[in-house]
Amino acid sequence: MHMIVSLDWLQEYVNLPARPAELADRLALSGLNHECFDEQAIDLEVTSNRPDCLGHIGVAREIAVLWSQSLRVPEAQPLASGEPAEKLTHVDLQAPQLCPRYTARVIRGVKVGPSPAWLADRLRTLGVAVINNVVDVTNYVMFECGQPLHAFDFAKLQGRRIVVRESKPGEKFTAINHQEYELAAGTCVIADAERAVALAGVMGGADTEVSEATVDVLIESAQFDPLSVRTTARRHNLHSPSSYRFERGADPEGVDWASRRACELILQLAGGVLAHGSVDAGSPREQPPTIKLRFDQIPRVLGIAVPDDDVRRILAALGCQETHVCGHCVKVTPPSWRADITREIDLIEEVARIYGYDKIPEDTNVKMAASTRTRQDRALSRVRETLVAAGFYEAMTLSAVDEQWVDAIRPWTDAAPLQTSMPILRRADSLRQTLVPSLLAARRHNEKLSNRVIELFEIANVYLPIEGALPQQKRLLALTSGSGFLEVKGVVEALVRRVAPAAVLGVGEVDYPLLESTRQCRLRLGDHPLGYLGELSDAGRDRFELRGSTTVAEIDLEILVAAANLTPSAQPLSPYPPVGRDVNIVVDEAVRWAAVEQLVRAGGGELLEAVEYQETYRDRNRLGTGRKSLLFSFELRSSSGTLTSEEADAIRDRIVELLSRQLSAELRA
Amino acid sequence: MKTNQTSSGGGLAAFVGELDALSLAATEAFGSASDAASLEVARVEFLGAKAGRLKSAQQGLGKVDKGDKPAAGKRFNEVKQTVEAAFSAAQERLAKAAKPHAASAFDVTVPGRPLRLGRLHPVTHTIADMKDIMGRLGFTAVEGPEIEDEWHNFEALNIPRTHPARDPLDNFYLAAARSAAPKGAAPQPAAVQGAAGAASGGPPPLLLRSQTSTVQIRVMESTPPPVRIISLGRVYRPDTADATHYPMFHQIEGLLVDRGVTMADLKSVLRLFCQSYFGAGEVHIRFRPSFFPFTEPSVEVDMSWQNGWMEMGGAGMVDPHVLRAVGYDPEEVTGFAFGLGVERVCMRQHGITDIRALYENDVRFLSQF
Repeated sequence: MHMIVSLDWLQEYVNLPARPAELADRLALSGLNHECFDEQAIDLEVTSNRPDCLGHIGVAREIAVLWSQSLRVPEAQPLASGEPAEKLTHVDLQAPQLCPRYTARVIRGVKVGPSPAWLADRLRTLGVAVINNVVDVTNYVMFECGQPLHAFDFAKLQGRRIVVRESKPGEKFTAINHQEYELAAGTCVIADAERAVALAGVMGGADTEVSEATVDVLIESAQFDPLSVRTTARRHNLHSPSSYRFERGADPEGVDWASRRACELILQLAGGVLAHGSVDAGSPREQPPTIKLRFDQIPRVLGIAVPDDDVRRILAALGCQETHVCGHCVKVTPPSWRADITREIDLIEEVARIYGYDKIPEDTNVKMAASTRTRQDRALSRVRETLVAAGFYEAMTLSAVDEQWVDAIRPWTDAAPLQTSMPILRRADSLRQTLVPSLLAARRHNEKLSNRVIELFEIANVYLPIEGALPQQKRLLALTSGSGFLEVKGVVEALVRRVAPAAVLGVGEVDYPLLESTRQCRLRLGDHPLGYLGELSDAGRDRFELRGSTTVAEIDLEILVAAANLTPSAQPLSPYPPVGRDVNIVVDEAVRWAAVEQLVRAGGGELLEAVEYQETYRDRNRLGTGRKSLLFSFELRSSSGTLTSEEADAIRDRIVELLSRQLSAELRA
Repeated sequence: MKTNQTSSGGGLAAFVGELDALSLAATEAFGSASDAASLEVARVEFLGAKAGRLKSAQQGLGKVDKGDKPAAGKRFNEVKQTVEAAFSAAQERLAKAAKPHAASAFDVTVPGRPLRLGRLHPVTHTIADMKDIMGRLGFTAVEGPEIEDEWHNFEALNIPRTHPARDPLDNFYLAAARSAAPKGAAPQPAAVQGAAGAASGGPPPLLLRSQTSTVQIRVMESTPPPVRIISLGRVYRPDTADATHYPMFHQIEGLLVDRGVTMADLKSVLRLFCQSYFGAGEVHIRFRPSFFPFTEPSVEVDMSWQNGWMEMGGAGMVDPHVLRAVGYDPEEVTGFAFGLGVERVCMRQHGITDIRALYENDVRFLSQF
């Protein structure tokens, strides 16, 4: 929250340092940061725990403490020569939980007119509209001490009374902005005998506002429940300097001072006769507790000692009442305007910020400690390295998607997605259950930019609902590529070999409409489902408005990390040379390479070191329909001696015999 | 004949002199031959099988005195080798020079076969650097759920129900509509009961975490002190996306709880971190008072930077309420916490001026890091 302070105005309460820059800098280092400043004013950022600094006197008090100056606060003792206030009006406080205290003063016979230049100028410096002397005074006092006030045209209050209550069902209210609001149930309103005349702490009503015709005024100074004011302001989208201050809590002891001060200024600027006393409903503030500050806690928290005398001086200057002091501790009662100070640690912070954080050293010997990288962290670094080496760029996409993408592909859950009550961005309100739609959207964006090579991966979480518990947060890797199924499969194979070299990558059947029916598969790692891989179908490309061919894969990283071997053991290497053989067989179309490889491995036995698929060849004339030729090679190596050509041929023959027997394969010359 | 004798016959010195002259002339002729034709002319002149000058010189050998013959023969062979070597050197030289004009040339200036390496996202680089430095300072990186309950996102962090930070419009609460819980089910846990506006009935509300401090709470709840961690990951706050705001961003937060941890330790760790991260030159840390519910005292952290101060993030001493909420005794231990926005540091480091570029995934952008 910004609070513009006028330097001319501040000077009324405290002597200022000569240069505004010095003032602004010192305030910034003690808790009041600034956006900007000039010779007239400083635009301060006030943190939400310091509503006392939402008025000039509060800021002046900080200055007085920092520069050891005295603070001059007006007495605010207006001459009350009229009849007793309680004979003129009555306050019926029906909602004490929403309004702990309400005070009213009445001035009769005011002459409403323009404010004098000194007051109007100060309000204008703050960017506050100037209206008339009575309304301007209520604003002026609010910016002086932080307590919001309201002035009613007394004659327009039906029954000449104030009722503080919750709104009635369907109750309507016209604010001074001349807009009508239907009030939500439970809204705290200020009413007269008939109707709501103000939204408590938020905005006054049009019917009772002070105008040129006003003669008698009722000045409200009250305390409202912060949450109630916030709810009202939010619900009706009516935010005001008043609601802002009530939301953060105004000084309860300042209620009467502000009322007197406003009356004093109105009498001075608009004349009239102030009724004697005030009508004061509600309970005064409970006596704040005494807080003990043990002197030894200061070095324990701050790391530096502050002399006891400095501690006491700082607390006293801030308005704390000292009730006890000994060599061990000091006890104080915090001032009413500092509701944020309730504990020892709060006092330590006050001492620290006034004494100066610059006194805290930045070169202590912090204890050494070992730190470890988690297995997941190390495994994911390898995943990233591998994908970068494979030419993929890392993308980062939003954790939610437009609901229309939820059913694009549903590999991980069938449950309805979790949704945020408002979209995170544009229409993205469904927490995603797969990363693929987000990556395809990124791919489309790149296509629109005419980027030719679009190889993307992302590592992120998806959120799978669990009834009655936090959702399962699953870490996935997704990739999208412009190359085909086998190229991306090669990347996945390389990734598995790099991270989990002993794990066996398998494939299975799957049928996602997003993917081309013959070019998609499920991926397995050992016995665990790992993910899926496939080329986009025409329908899938249309759905994501993609022009170029696209392959996607998605992998459950928990499975991969669980299988990861991050510190492999070295294997003994045979000193003898390998012997290789090429084989060309003709089989039925239905025979899959995986079946062939399995038999080659079985036939090769422990001497088989590697099997390498070479190519598939089809030729109806030479091979016949429904037949294909598979070309592959394998290497044999023994750890105990050099294999002879005869030994290698014997193994090849055994393999060919196996293939022929089990898969009806024919050896092709 | 007398003359002949004197000039060439019988004398070793004369023979050797003649040979030396020949050697010199031949070397020069071969060396200066500019193409194959002129080299051939020179070859015929000196090495010609019938009338070459070397051949003639060889005939002179017969006229040398018998006793001098071995020396003269040796000398002749040396010269012959020199001349032949000069010829083949010239042949080689001309062959080399002729090459570009002959076979189609290999152009070494053509680019190599492209090796397309990918890139990591700049935010990943920044996080990795931060984790690395904090790791060296003894902080272990931890992660936690992005969808949280109100206890971990608010209550335990000393953010009571009345605090403005809990406003539904300032957080991404999950919509309750899809919950299958029957109406009037189990009563609200104490944590979510409260003043006006509290949801009635149904399961406890969940929301996208607005800070990674939630992870610190989870770690402290399950680990006795000392705790020395950084928590990092995605966080979410309803902000309209513009050049400096995005509703999703990354945070990194440090936490050290132990006996005798002070604000001076906080300042020192932050100085070491900034010094390591930003490198060269002496770095200083400045604290400005601030307010965060979960720390007391709370400060904004500035780092000295190019003769000024650069805002780094928020920090403070862990509030005793927070320590108590996780079952620690504030009389036994103290702790500090600090938080940095990853994107802000990343953007400053790489001169990125619009945060949205980080999530647009234009490969031209990504290829720069």
